[in-house]
Amino acid sequence: MTFFANLASWWNALIHRKRVDSDVEAELQFHIDAHTQALIESGISPGEAERQSKVEFGRVGVQKELYRSAIGLRPLEEIGGDLRYGVRSFFRKPGFALIAILSLGLGIGATTAIFSLIYATLLHPFPYAGADRIVNPALTDQAHPQVPTWFALTPSQFESFSKAKSIDSVIGFLPNGLTATGSDLPEDVQAAYVTSNVSSFLGVSAKLGRGIEPFDVAEGRPPSNIVVLDYKYWQHKYNSDAKIVGQVLQLNHVNYTIVGVMPRQFAFTQTVRNVDVYIPWTAARCPNIFPWIKLKPGVSISAANAEFQSFLNEFKRETPKHFPEAFQVTVQPIIEPYVHRTGHTLALLFASVILLLLIGCANCSILLLARGESRQQELAIRSAIGASRFRIVRQLLIEALAMSCAGALIGAVFSYWLAKLPLQLMPDAFPQEAAITINLPILAFSISLALITGVLSGLFPAMRLSRPNLSQVIQSTSHTIGVNTSRRVLNILISSQIALTFVLLGAAGAAIAGFLKITSTQLGYDPHNVMVVGIPLKRDTSKNRDARSAYIDQVEKTVAGVPSVLAVAVSNRGIPPSPPFGGIGTQGQFEILGVHTQQEKLAVISLVSPEYFSTLDIPLLKGRLWDQSENRRGDFVAVVNHTLAARYWPKGDAIGHQIRVDSLKDDGAPLSVASAQSAQQRQIIGVVADSRNDGIEHPVAPAIYVPYTTFMWDYTQLFIRTSHEPLSSLRAIRSALRSDNAEQRVIVASANLEEALQLQPVWAQQRLFSILFSCFALLALVLSLVGLGSTLSFAIAQRRSEFGIRMALGAQRAHIVWIVSKTSLATVGGGIVAGLLLNFFTEKALQHWTPDSISGSWVLSCVTLLLLICAATTSLMLAVRAAQVNPSQTLRCE
Amino acid sequence: MDKQVELLQGTLEILILKAVSLGPLHGYGILQRIHQISGERLQIPQGSFYIALYRIEHKGWLKGEWGESDNNRRAKFYRLTPAGTRQLRSETEKWSQMTDVVDGILRTTPEQI
Repeated sequence: MTFFANLASWWNALIHRKRVDSDVEAELQFHIDAHTQALIESGISPGEAERQSKVEFGRVGVQKELYRSAIGLRPLEEIGGDLRYGVRSFFRKPGFALIAILSLGLGIGATTAIFSLIYATLLHPFPYAGADRIVNPALTDQAHPQVPTWFALTPSQFESFSKAKSIDSVIGFLPNGLTATGSDLPEDVQAAYVTSNVSSFLGVSAKLGRGIEPFDVAEGRPPSNIVVLDYKYWQHKYNSDAKIVGQVLQLNHVNYTIVGVMPRQFAFTQTVRNVDVYIPWTAARCPNIFPWIKLKPGVSISAANAEFQSFLNEFKRETPKHFPEAFQVTVQPIIEPYVHRTGHTLALLFASVILLLLIGCANCSILLLARGESRQQELAIRSAIGASRFRIVRQLLIEALAMSCAGALIGAVFSYWLAKLPLQLMPDAFPQEAAITINLPILAFSISLALITGVLSGLFPAMRLSRPNLSQVIQSTSHTIGVNTSRRVLNILISSQIALTFVLLGAAGAAIAGFLKITSTQLGYDPHNVMVVGIPLKRDTSKNRDARSAYIDQVEKTVAGVPSVLAVAVSNRGIPPSPPFGGIGTQGQFEILGVHTQQEKLAVISLVSPEYFSTLDIPLLKGRLWDQSENRRGDFVAVVNHTLAARYWPKGDAIGHQIRVDSLKDDGAPLSVASAQSAQQRQIIGVVADSRNDGIEHPVAPAIYVPYTTFMWDYTQLFIRTSHEPLSSLRAIRSALRSDNAEQRVIVASANLEEALQLQPVWAQQRLFSILFSCFALLALVLSLVGLGSTLSFAIAQRRSEFGIRMALGAQRAHIVWIVSKTSLATVGGGIVAGLLLNFFTEKALQHWTPDSISGSWVLSCVTLLLLICAATTSLMLAVRAAQVNPSQTLRCE
Repeated sequence: MDKQVELLQGTLEILILKAVSLGPLHGYGILQRIHQISGERLQIPQGSFYIALYRIEHKGWLKGEWGESDNNRRAKFYRLTPAGTRQLRSETEKWSQMTDVVDGILRTTPEQI
């Protein structure tokens, strides 16, 4: 109540200032007049009465001030005055103000950018209802505990699972590859079957038309054939056609009506696979589904895990094949995979922008101090005529705050641009839903940043300058000769700036070195013009192994017959040099006949055709490869890589030994077929050279190659080397395959292995690091040099008369140059030493965060050299200018 | 002869509220009324009077409106707002409690202890 009355009267006093003033004046005049009248009535003469009442009351103008201070407006108005004064003094020296504002602006901008990136990608990326309660259905297979896997459920299991006490609601979905039919070439379409409660579960409405709704699969009638398009698919397939709703899309020879398009920020299946279309799920369309779980509010992850574990143990008894031997339910918040992927990167980036911000603050402090020195006289006079220390500190702080706020404005614009950069440079690492927007938390962050930096950069100069030594300042003329004490403080600030810059430059150097190391990694194979295509096979549960291998063989031959194709190979493993993920292809255990060790023997198991090695240019070092008849049989032979051979047979006698890979045994799954003796002893018949198979950043893992026919699924891959750009041959390959089998789909898994390299997370991450760190380091360098330059020119200005006297007494110009640059070099040297020490301590932390950033001594020496050269150039330039003054002129200025 | 009384710290506000509660008044009138009710024993310094008045208005206990005075001049008349009425009541209560307590203490004789 009182609070609103206060606000109203402040509002009045501030906005209707004139009217309030004249009201106060009129009221007081009335008072004086009434009092005069009363005095006259008591018998005093009119003239005397008027005089007396005026004396009693005091001046009317003073009362106006009293009014404003009575309602508590005085501090506000004083601050306004300080602000006006500060802004005016900026305009007197615009260059100084501009540099200070830019320094802070760059720091604030960079920090805000990284913060908004973190906010958009990790803190609040998903536009879904209750996104912080949605969890992935992950479990940890005790045989492969490094990577969590997802579990799928049958319809009846899904039904009973969704009644769990911890669950608020749950949707089921499963991505599946379909073929768009009806056009000249069958095209691959990734579909997701989604339960019909998806719209209410996620709370996202369609961009065009409608989403999937419960009535699409109403009981008692066949499910309607409708499809909802993903934004990206709608964009590139239909050119963002606004009239798409109502058209028909034929998938696997069934007509589906397009009823809607989802917005861009709808990509919940991304953690598993990106999809093109969404189709309502029914048990008939797809037997198993992933449950995506929204927990009840207040249910902890561990409580949910405990409850789900008992459900899943029960389900495992029903369908043992769907779950690993021994497992633990470990549901994870949907952001978890991204935190795992980018948390370190973002933490490092944030640390570096904080450094940049500190450098910007130091710069602003330096400029304020340097300018404050020339304001000593003014401040001394203010305090001599009675300004309290508090008022002077306030004046200086307000000026600093005004600068930091102006800086924050510039920074906000800069940050908007900068924050988008990582999303462009490293698109796969962040949730697709993430969008950089200016919103309340980010605004609050940058405003508080502006306040903090204002105080940080202004407080120290303010405290220092608010204690002027009155007698000394007022007595001395503006020209002092000799060393000023505050120059020492300036030098300390410059040194710390240089030290921080050194650390940033070191980090940038390490990032670049790391990136260079990755790009120059010996892959061990030739990725030039090699395309990888996926070949989904017809779902065939008859387990006719000969038919399947014959078909794959046929496909390989057909592709080899295409004119521009130089070589073709079959491989069931992932794309090198990626670390293997999921199923066979992860590092599996193997045994060597007659060798028993406690330690587990692990190797990457690859299922390939013998042409694999020639196609990828992996040389055979010893022995031989398997021939066609051995390839058809699949059993008894294996080829190993050099790393494996050297580890277990260091004398080079690997060939002829027997090894056994247990994971190749027939797992009985409905769509896989294995050869008769796939898990029996195999003879090592050859040793091939190493090639990267565990990610580019890691050393080559031991590898065992076996014929692909020994274990086949309903999917295989072809590695195709072409004479030109591989994609240009794609059409020819497709139509060749189509003449064999009209329904054969072809999925481009990697259009070019050379480019696949650049999609490697570590490649993208190191590139991002190198670019951003270099930007930040460069900015830091420029800021420090500006700081150094402004201190130096301030010092030179102060010592002008000293130089004049020295030169008049016969000092050479070179000597002047020397005495000017001497101190600055000492400062820079101190900074570099401090930076080296800092670097030494941060290096350990850095090594902990990034896998491979080597900040070797040569990086540090480069950085030192760069800093020294830049600092020396700056100070020499200024020193030479200082030495060019005409002594007679300087002295006459006195 | 009437002795002039010094105003106790913090009592001016309650006096102003009381004076206005008897009927809307302009600033000079409030001053006159307090002077008159006190039997001309209370002298209020004019400078601090207006500060107190403005502060009370700022707090929303009084509302000022422009009107005509007895001699047909424009003057600002103050009247009590509901919040002001409540404030006056609670302040009066506090004041009488306070004076009771202080009075009781001051009247204490050695025998009563």
